[in-house]
Amino acid sequence: MDLNKRLFINIIPGNTFLDKLSGTTKVRLFIALVILLVVTWDVRIIWPALVVAIIGLVSIKPNKKLVLGLIGFVTLMNLFNLFLVWVVMPDSGADIVGASTVLFRFSERYVVTAETLWYFMVRFTKFMATFMISITFIQSITPSEMAAGLYSVKIPYKVATMVSIAFRYIPEISRDFGDIKISMQARGMELDPKKTSLFERLKQNVVILVPLIIVSFDRVGNIANAMDLRGYGRGKTRTYYSEHEETPNDRKMKVVYLLLYVAVIAVIIGRIFFPGEFEIWAPWI
Amino acid sequence: MSKEKKNIGKMLLGTWDTKTVVGVAIGAALFAVLMNYGGIRVFTNTSLTTAMIVVPIVAGLFGPLPAALVAGLGNVLADLIGGWGFWFDWSIGNFFMGLFIGLLPVYGAKIEDGIFQVKHMIGYVISVLVGNLVGFGLVTPLLTFLFYSHELTITWAQAFSAIVSNGIVEIVIGIPVLLLLAKRNAKKNNLSTED
Repeated sequence: MDLNKRLFINIIPGNTFLDKLSGTTKVRLFIALVILLVVTWDVRIIWPALVVAIIGLVSIKPNKKLVLGLIGFVTLMNLFNLFLVWVVMPDSGADIVGASTVLFRFSERYVVTAETLWYFMVRFTKFMATFMISITFIQSITPSEMAAGLYSVKIPYKVATMVSIAFRYIPEISRDFGDIKISMQARGMELDPKKTSLFERLKQNVVILVPLIIVSFDRVGNIANAMDLRGYGRGKTRTYYSEHEETPNDRKMKVVYLLLYVAVIAVIIGRIFFPGEFEIWAPWI
Repeated sequence: MSKEKKNIGKMLLGTWDTKTVVGVAIGAALFAVLMNYGGIRVFTNTSLTTAMIVVPIVAGLFGPLPAALVAGLGNVLADLIGGWGFWFDWSIGNFFMGLFIGLLPVYGAKIEDGIFQVKHMIGYVISVLVGNLVGFGLVTPLLTFLFYSHELTITWAQAFSAIVSNGIVEIVIGIPVLLLLAKRNAKKNNLSTED
């Protein structure tokens, strides 16, 4: 996956429904969805969330080729992670879903059970939904709106600024990373994982790291001076130019995210006070 | 040159001027990028990542709380762009690790003034070990237990590989990088400020 294309952000807001919402609405909606997906392992919540995520992603009209490539990459990565989980706990379904119906048996320890596959499916869709919500969020928000949104949920504005600057500079830094890597390869450094040892690769990562750190931290002075010159950090509170008044659509979405927060609280209360015998619900148990 | 002792509370917080805000932001971005690209996978979602180097550098430049924020925020941002789901238990574990590694100025190592000697190295190694153990051996498993109880087995395996790989990166690469930074700053610093 091309580094430059993988991390892409908007500086100028677009003109789809989600783009036109205010920063506050976007951030609150995103936080609600992410927390809901972190706390729940119930497929009856995860699948609707996945559908919502896909609708959201399609609605902002992203670059199709790019998004499909990204999704393919993340799918492979998550499948690999699941494989490693299976290596560590081949019969994880027994503890989590509550039974083990053996489908294949490779050896005494390595079995594939229907429950493990169900658990992996739930886990996989959960992370795919989270990822799609993340891309939709990244693609429909500008750094300044992000700061405004975070400030609206009572995060100190210096921290909000921090997050928005970090978000703004991720593409820049990953571009530098790619450039340094290419120039190191041009000098004859072998970066193919098949041809180098683990230690050698770690050493090469450090060789890329040193110029990257110097270049990145050289920026700090410039940015900080520019902000100081514009009077940053003088006041105790802050307003944001990018933040507009609530539109009718914002009000509609407000209802949606308030309902989502209620759902989050309900799920958390349910998990604390009425824990099921097993973590994950499966239709046949 | 006055040698008044700053109180420890102030040292922990660091000075919160614009430069710190931007420094932490850039550090977190760097952390997120390196976590995604600059690593060698060891186990699920854990890798021998060079991102961990950013933490002692920020600690040397800005102090403990900025270092902790770099690790915590950086991990959240890495989750945002990485696509492996959000793991706030790990982000908070990273936060605590950063806090311990950031103790550099508290035991007298001042990277900005070029002071980083053998005793500070020993202090640094201890803080790395304690920080990783507290962060990933205590905080993360505890939070994992609270958030996603059944993931605990995986978390223990991940915590073990995280402690080992982060420790290696932070000690083996961290000390030379800190020495280099200290040397670079020491050369510039033969003037003293007047009160």
